[in-house]
Amino acid sequence: MTFGLGVSAIGQGLLWATLGLGLFLTFRILDFPDMTVEGTFPMGAAACVAAINNGISPIWATLIAIGVGMLCGLATGLLYTKGRIPILLAGILVMTAAYSVNLRIMHGRSNLTLLDKPSLLKLPIFAHAPMYFDSVFLGFTVIVILTLVLIYFLQTDLGQAFIATGDNEKMARSLGIKTDNMKIMGLMVSNGVIGLGGALVAQNDGYADVNMGIGVIVIALASIIIGEVAFGELTMNQRLVAVTLGSILYRFVLLVVLKLGFNTNDLKLFSSVVLALCMMVPVFRDMFNLKRVWKRGISTHD
Amino acid sequence: MKRLYALIAIIVIFLGFAFVGEGGTGKPAKVAKPTVGILQLMSHPALDSIHHGIIHGLEEKGYHPGKNIKIDFQNAQNDQSNLMTMSNRFVNEDADATIGIATPSAQALANATSKIPIVLGAVTDPKGAGLVKNNQQPGHNITGVSDQAPLKEQLGLIKQVVPRMKTLGIFYTSSDDSAAAQYKQFKQLCADEHINLKAYSISNTNDVDQVSQQMVQNVDAVYIPTDNTVASAMQTLIKNSNAAKIPVFPAVDTMVKSGGLATYSINQYKLGVLTGHMTADILKGKKPATTPIKFIRHGDLILNMKEANRLGITFPSSLVKEAQKKGEIIK
Repeated sequence: MTFGLGVSAIGQGLLWATLGLGLFLTFRILDFPDMTVEGTFPMGAAACVAAINNGISPIWATLIAIGVGMLCGLATGLLYTKGRIPILLAGILVMTAAYSVNLRIMHGRSNLTLLDKPSLLKLPIFAHAPMYFDSVFLGFTVIVILTLVLIYFLQTDLGQAFIATGDNEKMARSLGIKTDNMKIMGLMVSNGVIGLGGALVAQNDGYADVNMGIGVIVIALASIIIGEVAFGELTMNQRLVAVTLGSILYRFVLLVVLKLGFNTNDLKLFSSVVLALCMMVPVFRDMFNLKRVWKRGISTHD
Repeated sequence: MKRLYALIAIIVIFLGFAFVGEGGTGKPAKVAKPTVGILQLMSHPALDSIHHGIIHGLEEKGYHPGKNIKIDFQNAQNDQSNLMTMSNRFVNEDADATIGIATPSAQALANATSKIPIVLGAVTDPKGAGLVKNNQQPGHNITGVSDQAPLKEQLGLIKQVVPRMKTLGIFYTSSDDSAAAQYKQFKQLCADEHINLKAYSISNTNDVDQVSQQMVQNVDAVYIPTDNTVASAMQTLIKNSNAAKIPVFPAVDTMVKSGGLATYSINQYKLGVLTGHMTADILKGKKPATTPIKFIRHGDLILNMKEANRLGITFPSSLVKEAQKKGEIIK
């Protein structure tokens, strides 16, 4: 029983890591904040749960969630590139609109349950797994497949053009890359992954709720940034792995906070403080010249 | 980079140990003091008074927190991902019973365990939310007390106080499942009584001001179901309804105190006390599967005289007498 909470944290970390991976494509590669996430995530959840309630198999329902997420990304992408709306605003617009769409998807209900319904976690292969290991296995499988697909994608010509767009748009355009299309594609892939995240989390939690998108962008950012701060300089492939590990570390931070008996009212403040501190690590490093201090502390006098 | 691999190794080793450990170890020795986990969706007056009621109810049945019972109270602050972590925490500390205050917390608990008894506090329609098979014979590990307002009694009250009403407005949150469910039931009641009902829904507290301004132009009276979001923004709504001199009939007593005119209310505190009693019975060995969901049929009449004066409404004397006898008059 003592391991239980840790295993649950790892399982949840793996499932939530899909969110971090999705946001990584826009936040780090294209280098802009995509607020669509807060609408896509509950939409993936809603679509998946509604589909399962209509008798569609959980695997198909999850794929539908990915498709729905991509549509959200397409909407933001079109508003941004063709409509010339600033990206932050375009994302917020789609996120706001998603709320009404989500209510439609769930037939006017704000909360749909999966109790007594099939889900990916109730597949026969997970039947004999010890407590919480079902979400660990599912999360691990999904993350491995997703990471491999992303690694492969980023190495194709298309993926390289996508990275070039984010690195230096003018240069990319001079090379004949259609940067607008790259941005739309990036937003679609990113939001498709986030829709997948919504579907997985909804199946793990057992319900979809229209309010479940609130604050998810912080969770996704936390996985990306904790991963970066904890592991330093990495190659692109390793950075993708670091996002997943960052997501697991973030769950452990929350677990420790709960375990220490902190007032749960302060949890949101705590999440933000942890995130802010992580983001300021480079500043502190320069300010106090930590690297030199550490080196002097560790190295021996020859 | 080394750190990356090191962390992966640590996680894998941890999972390996856990995998072997989970299979082998039995349950740890049970402490004599029973543990009750209370999971509350968020802080707000109605839910808080249910929480206090539960503690009082447990005390009445001989369970004193800290002495012969351990209460683990968790408040998710409306964050859905917290609900899951907190439910798992109860399962891990092997709680003897858990209490879910408001529907999402109950759903999270139901998803985390199918063995530990779950007592529902303030779930309007347990069957509709998919938590129990049947309100009379819940069947699983879940039972509880419903906070369904006595809608019929309340509609009767509105007709009594505003006899010349042509259009009744209902104001609720579209993202609140139980509020939407009550809207549907109320709509049916109004159709039976040939009352013209106009629905105004909001998505969050920011919409309250504008939507309610629009509403008070078009209706003669306003009904508010049990709705946590509207309860939080009651002052905004009352400001607009007072300006248009439209009476507001909320479903819950706390909302009458913050400016509503009158209601037959289920006392949230009493609801909590009943939930506490039910939890105590379950700790003493009663089975949730055969304990029917408790509904409260009759509310206490609550009248707000201050508000009545402001709107120029006089209550029928029979109502005033009833409220004096077994209810509450707010002056």
